[in-house]
Amino acid sequence: MTAPLLEIRDLHLRAATQRGSAHILRGINLDIGAGRIVGVVGESGSGKSSLALCLLRLLPSNITELSGRMTMAGTELLGLPEAQFAAWRGGRIAMIFQDPMTALNPVFSIGTQLVDVARRRFPALDTKAARARAEAMLGRVGIADPGLRMGAYPHQLSGGMRQRVMIAMALLVQPDLLLADEPTTALDATVEAQIVGLFESLRADFSGSILFISHHLGLVAQLCDDVVVMYGGTVVETGPVGSVCADPRHPYTAALLACELEDAPAENDGSGRLMSIPGDVPDPVVTQAGCVFAPRCALAEAPCEMPQVLRRAPDGRQVACWKAVS
Amino acid sequence: MTSVLRGDTARYIASRVATTLLVIVGAMLLLFALTVLVPGDPASALLGPQATPEYARRFIAEMGLDQPIHVRFFRFFAHLSVGDFGTDVLTGRKVSGIILDVLPYTVILTFGSIGLAVVLGIPLGCLAATRPGTVLDTVLAVGSVAVIAVPGFVVAILLLLVFSIWLDWLPVLGAGRAGDLGDQAVRLILPIVALSIGWVGFIARLVRSSMLDVMGEAYIRTARAYGLPSGMVVFKYALKNACIPTLAVLGLGVGRLLGGAVLVEIVFARPGLGRLVLDAISTRNFPVLQGAVLVVVVLFVMTNLVVDLCYSAIDPRIRRGG
Repeated sequence: MTAPLLEIRDLHLRAATQRGSAHILRGINLDIGAGRIVGVVGESGSGKSSLALCLLRLLPSNITELSGRMTMAGTELLGLPEAQFAAWRGGRIAMIFQDPMTALNPVFSIGTQLVDVARRRFPALDTKAARARAEAMLGRVGIADPGLRMGAYPHQLSGGMRQRVMIAMALLVQPDLLLADEPTTALDATVEAQIVGLFESLRADFSGSILFISHHLGLVAQLCDDVVVMYGGTVVETGPVGSVCADPRHPYTAALLACELEDAPAENDGSGRLMSIPGDVPDPVVTQAGCVFAPRCALAEAPCEMPQVLRRAPDGRQVACWKAVS
Repeated sequence: MTSVLRGDTARYIASRVATTLLVIVGAMLLLFALTVLVPGDPASALLGPQATPEYARRFIAEMGLDQPIHVRFFRFFAHLSVGDFGTDVLTGRKVSGIILDVLPYTVILTFGSIGLAVVLGIPLGCLAATRPGTVLDTVLAVGSVAVIAVPGFVVAILLLLVFSIWLDWLPVLGAGRAGDLGDQAVRLILPIVALSIGWVGFIARLVRSSMLDVMGEAYIRTARAYGLPSGMVVFKYALKNACIPTLAVLGLGVGRLLGGAVLVEIVFARPGLGRLVLDAISTRNFPVLQGAVLVVVVLFVMTNLVVDLCYSAIDPRIRRGG
């Protein structure tokens, strides 16, 4: 196995809130292989989006601690001075945001926004060449008549089109790592399918890695090579997406799978009702000694009160549950 | 799409121009109604109680006030539509000539002040917004509130005292010799500063708060996520959004400045529309008053038309509304 593009080790993120110090990421360990599409799944509040923002070091001002290691292509990102890290944003790392309705500036044409991003990344380009690249990229992401759309303002485009523009913006900078933070969540179902189709088609000509964040395990199963299951600011299970979905080893992964619509008739209780996991995601303000999922886990026993760390099984999969490993 | 955009813009401009014309006609109607509704009649108001009845009658006939109301109404509009504001009954001069003589002084004072307020206020607002909570932000906040709170004519007197009398750097009174542009420009400095200083503070506050709102928007995060230089993020991507509420206030501000110009014109002994209105009121000079007020109204609505058009140039979402 070649060295991964990105290695995250023991990443902690704390923020000051009115209710006290919130421990948002509690020691994340994660590898992203070069050229792999890695899906990150978990409920809202599990720390998925915070993880993506950590990778861009684009965090709100109430952050009190960001520690651990994030090593990308041999460079330790957390240790870089801000002035040096700035080149990574929109350079080797690009991000697609959850809500395309607000992520584009309403008072500039999309052409202006794409050209600014392209010229920042490739200063040697003149405006004309940057426009040509942006236009070609709009065509690449499936926008009809890209020459005309360059002059359009965001409010003149549908949500799906805007997300295509955001994807074009990300691809325009030719990143090594593309962060996609729930890129289809704000879209309706048919548009979501189109955007997922677009991501699938990217495999043909995009050589970088993709971190695809979603709360929808079915989507991740369809699109990704590997999956990272997050819960309460920790990673509870990782592995190739096919084997994790076929044979979930962490009770939380199993519960998430059972909640998926596709599996409803077979895996649920037969009543035809969708399953849900009882209880709430852990409060980031409360420190927890044992397994983060234990309070909601149907299989919890006494040893679950001990901290659980990711352990690698012989087949390379990692699970943070003593039952799975033993 | 481009052609659709142009169509939208053309429709928007047409509707704004139409509204502007309506407002001007409305103002004319009001001014006419004033001459009718005022107790007594303009002639006796003008002449005062000492005039002989015979003289008053001749005067009324000269002003056309003995005609039936519909005739007066049509005359009023017919004269205005060719730019004839009537004759100053005291001097016998054409009112339009009197107004044209003083108009440039007021226009340059008012728009010079708005210009200075924008040129200083916007960068100060940006400066404060990019460093919220710092000493600089606090100093700017206190300074802004102070200059907003002090009336323009007080500032005018203080400026005169300091720069003209104590330091003797700038001339004291008057608008300068006719034809001597340098002299006139020097004599504009203090009045413009006096009139605009409150607006500098006001615009700085306004830009700061809308800037802070905009800096929290998702599209600013996008600009940062793509590594755009912070100068570009603040002065291009954020400022254009933050200008929108500021622009709306500027349109109203011109009206306030035209009003505020009166006091500054008096303190600095400058000719101007405000002074003309004041003199016309104190001498009950109806034709001059009517003409001057109408010109002020036209200035105000035309400025607001320009502001609206700037609005649509800055914010593409407005063009659709029409």
